[in-house]
Amino acid sequence: MSRRGVGIGAFANRTQATQSYATHGANLRSTHTASLQTQLSVFQSLLHTFALEHSSTIKSNPTFRAEFARMCNTIGVDPLAASNIKGKNARRLGEGGSFWTQIMGGDMNDFYFEVAVRVVELCRETRSENGGLIGVEECRKRVGKGKAIGSGLQVSDDDILRAVRSLEPLGSGFSIILVGSKQYIRSIPKELNTDQATVLEVIQLLGFVSVSMLRLNLSWEKARAQTVIDDLLADGLVWLDAQGPEKEYWSPQNLLDDSR
Amino acid sequence: MATTTTTSTPFPFPPTYNFPPFFTPQPNTTTRHSQLHKWSLLIQAWCRHHRQYRLNLIEAVDTPLFHNAALRKRLDLREARAVVDWMCKSEEEGGGGRRAEWIDADGQKSVAWVWWRRPEEWADVVSEWVEGTGQKGSVLTVYEIVQGEGSASQEFHGMDFELMLKSLQVLVKRGKAQVFGSEGQEGVKFF
Repeated sequence: MSRRGVGIGAFANRTQATQSYATHGANLRSTHTASLQTQLSVFQSLLHTFALEHSSTIKSNPTFRAEFARMCNTIGVDPLAASNIKGKNARRLGEGGSFWTQIMGGDMNDFYFEVAVRVVELCRETRSENGGLIGVEECRKRVGKGKAIGSGLQVSDDDILRAVRSLEPLGSGFSIILVGSKQYIRSIPKELNTDQATVLEVIQLLGFVSVSMLRLNLSWEKARAQTVIDDLLADGLVWLDAQGPEKEYWSPQNLLDDSR
Repeated sequence: MATTTTTSTPFPFPPTYNFPPFFTPQPNTTTRHSQLHKWSLLIQAWCRHHRQYRLNLIEAVDTPLFHNAALRKRLDLREARAVVDWMCKSEEEGGGGRRAEWIDADGQKSVAWVWWRRPEEWADVVSEWVEGTGQKGSVLTVYEIVQGEGSASQEFHGMDFELMLKSLQVLVKRGKAQVFGSEGQEGVKFF
């Protein structure tokens, strides 16, 4: 504004200056907020219309649903969070309900809850066979098939992931882990160490492993390879085949189809 | 009494059957339990498909049931016995829900009933059939029930005689039937 004042008056000046800066800042901020708010409400109403227009497609078409969810995600709207937190209470209070319950009539969160229930069921049923590790893809196939006739749910991998994430607030210990390039649902709250993950990745590629294979391919010590395999075996993550020339260890990931 | 009747359609093996470790007893108890359960289901499905009520393990270890020729894996006699042993136990004992019963329990344990339907369940089926066809109060021979034309469409048609008698005994205990006559020529009256 001006050069620095001298003497006692300078202090007064400076306070004044800070004050006017502050008010100006507040002004700017409020106009900013206001304009953002308008933008947001415009955007919301647009999203509303879009979701309403395409609600049936969103519900029935898994690919479309995934894309829609992805779009919401990139712009920072989490359909699940919105319906999770406010959904139930709002409905009880007789208000409009959450954004999503308003649009989809509660179907959207119910849908994900339904999927989540199926996933939990499946994980529990198969825990003894796969040690609590199940591929997202296998899981999707199974949920898609359903148990009773006509109970299959057309879902995408994305829906499964979303459903598993919706369980997080429950502290259920369900998590998504990445082994190699494949995503798994871990239903036992236990971490895999790097060696274990590596072995599982090798099994993914080759179908099975043996101690000598690990020694050859990863140049591990025999003891190291054996320990990792023993750990995996103890956790029920691999099955042993002792009828070959060397003990082979297989992943039970493809067994799901018949455990009805 | 034919124990091995071959049906025209091949038995559809579950994917587990092509999983090599399926034929090795699993060292992990939880996994082992799951494995035994799968074996139990497979044996029941196999027997049901072949309309087989008793399983002779000594013969069966060389059939495709226990011997996967493509994988060159097999369940040997000792292991097959372990599976049937497990099937014999009730679920409370940590077994397979009494889905099998040794016929020679004291002996070498080589022949067992495989209950893809337990006698009590067969009893239900028979009494339903009797009621559905209006044969309540009438007298039938066991031969008629098993081999007669009237039961041709029923699942128990051509069933093991001994098993049919066992099932009828269940109905007797429930007060729904009476069995009389000498061995081999039993008749039965339904109430």
